[in-house]
Amino acid sequence: MFNLVLFIKTLKSNYKLILIFMGVLAMYMSIIIGMYDPEDLDILNQLASLKLSPELLNAMGFTLIDTSLIGFISSYFYGFLMLAFPMICYIILGNKLVASLVDKGSMASILATPNTRISVALTQGVFLLITITGLIGFVFIWGIVYCSINLAGMLDIKGFILLNIGVLLLHYAISGICFFSSCLFNESRTSLMVGAGLPIAFLLLQMLSNANKEIETFRFLTIFSLFEPTKLIIGENILPQILSLIAITIVLYLGGIAVFNKKDLPL
Amino acid sequence: MSVISINNLTKDYGNGKGIFDLNLQINSGEVFGYLGPNGAGKTTTIRHLLGFLNSDKGFCQIDKYNCRQDSAEIQKTLGYLPGEIAFFEDMNGMEYLKFIAKLRRMKDFTKMNELIAYFELDPKGKIKKMSKGMKQKMAIVSAFMHNPETLILDEPTSGLDPLMQSKFVQLILSEKKEGKTILMSSHSFEEIERTCDRTGIIKNGRLIAVKKMREIKKAQRKIYSITFDNETEAIAFAKEPLDIVFQNNHRVDVAVSGDLKTLTSALDRHPVIGIDVVSQRLEEIFMAYYGGENHV
Repeated sequence: MFNLVLFIKTLKSNYKLILIFMGVLAMYMSIIIGMYDPEDLDILNQLASLKLSPELLNAMGFTLIDTSLIGFISSYFYGFLMLAFPMICYIILGNKLVASLVDKGSMASILATPNTRISVALTQGVFLLITITGLIGFVFIWGIVYCSINLAGMLDIKGFILLNIGVLLLHYAISGICFFSSCLFNESRTSLMVGAGLPIAFLLLQMLSNANKEIETFRFLTIFSLFEPTKLIIGENILPQILSLIAITIVLYLGGIAVFNKKDLPL
Repeated sequence: MSVISINNLTKDYGNGKGIFDLNLQINSGEVFGYLGPNGAGKTTTIRHLLGFLNSDKGFCQIDKYNCRQDSAEIQKTLGYLPGEIAFFEDMNGMEYLKFIAKLRRMKDFTKMNELIAYFELDPKGKIKKMSKGMKQKMAIVSAFMHNPETLILDEPTSGLDPLMQSKFVQLILSEKKEGKTILMSSHSFEEIERTCDRTGIIKNGRLIAVKKMREIKKAQRKIYSITFDNETEAIAFAKEPLDIVFQNNHRVDVAVSGDLKTLTSALDRHPVIGIDVVSQRLEEIFMAYYGGENHV
């Protein structure tokens, strides 16, 4: 079913993009953790001196509840940057993996070989999931290494693991939208309209509801509400959220493969 | 025994576009020419054979396998040359051919290397930088390199220079000798004339005729373009009992099928200063044969 030849080809065409995103995330993470000072947590004041409005800071998830290192990282890094950057990465990839190949026509050369559509779509889907795992895994390891060098013994490893598993499952589920839309549409334009439009709209909604408590209910319209860093790190029971994210992922990925297998291809 | 079998195949795109109740059997070892104006439904038919499209009605088979459901099985012994070629632009030629070979689990690269040499293809350059002709050669190599039993070729020589076109005809003839079954669409009469056993023409989504090549050639109508010293003579000549297609200034175009005698005796009576044979597009020849409306 899984096609290694296609997987390697897809990796070769996209590894540069993935490396760039790894680099950007590592850089931001280092900057954020570098700002952590257990003696002085008045970082909001520091940020305020940059003349940013409190609403904007809230929108970015910069609301500090837990003053430990893990609480700090989860607010300042996993509140926005760790949501937005991986998302941009798989929005781009999601479209490139299926819809763009159909749009450009090069899918014809793949399907004119003894490989089924299911195997092609499955391979591309697995590639997207592995890429996201690699990206989050890299950030996770980078965080552990960075903290153990600069802030030895201060990071709650268990909480950090939970935090990353949570964000990983969140990204799996959102990337499902990109993958499904890429399998459904024959043009990059329409694939991106849904595959990029929906996740970005979700993120904006999440930011809006963060900034304005009156419209906080909006939050529950988005997949992002299934990811709650503060609850994750204190070990609250989040099994329903986790199971929902896994269910969304499975439905969207399998649905994408099924749709691609059935549809008319203009090749 | 038919290798490619199309049965009541229908795909309606609305506005009269699509293909309607198409029936066609192509036998083992046969080379079949598939002709028709742009938008007639050639590529739609081919897309069904490749399993890219779901039919509204009817079905097609290759080697008794259903084209839509068992396309991966069919692809093991099928070579396909698409009408619109799209490779992976970021690859170089050799990388692409090796990539396709690996997807085919191909072990024997003899034929690939022979074809590269035969068509004088330089596969080292980036595909993005290749000329139209070079890309066409790449597509030919990738369609033939695994020595498939059946070939589906959508305008295989477009973009090739005359030398390469005739090399391609030689390739088809040698594949034919090996007993391959080939379906090809083309715009070049010479190509079809030299390679095909049978020809079918499709118009507005309907197969309007399937004929043996021999019969078409017999009935082929040739256009002679005759130039005169002056216009008066040309007008006088146009009054001869011939099939005059066109008259302008010093020139008269005459259509003749079969016996040339009427034309030669008419030529004797007028001061002719030049005769040219106008080469016709295959569709025109075909339409003329069937008394179609597209006389030019």
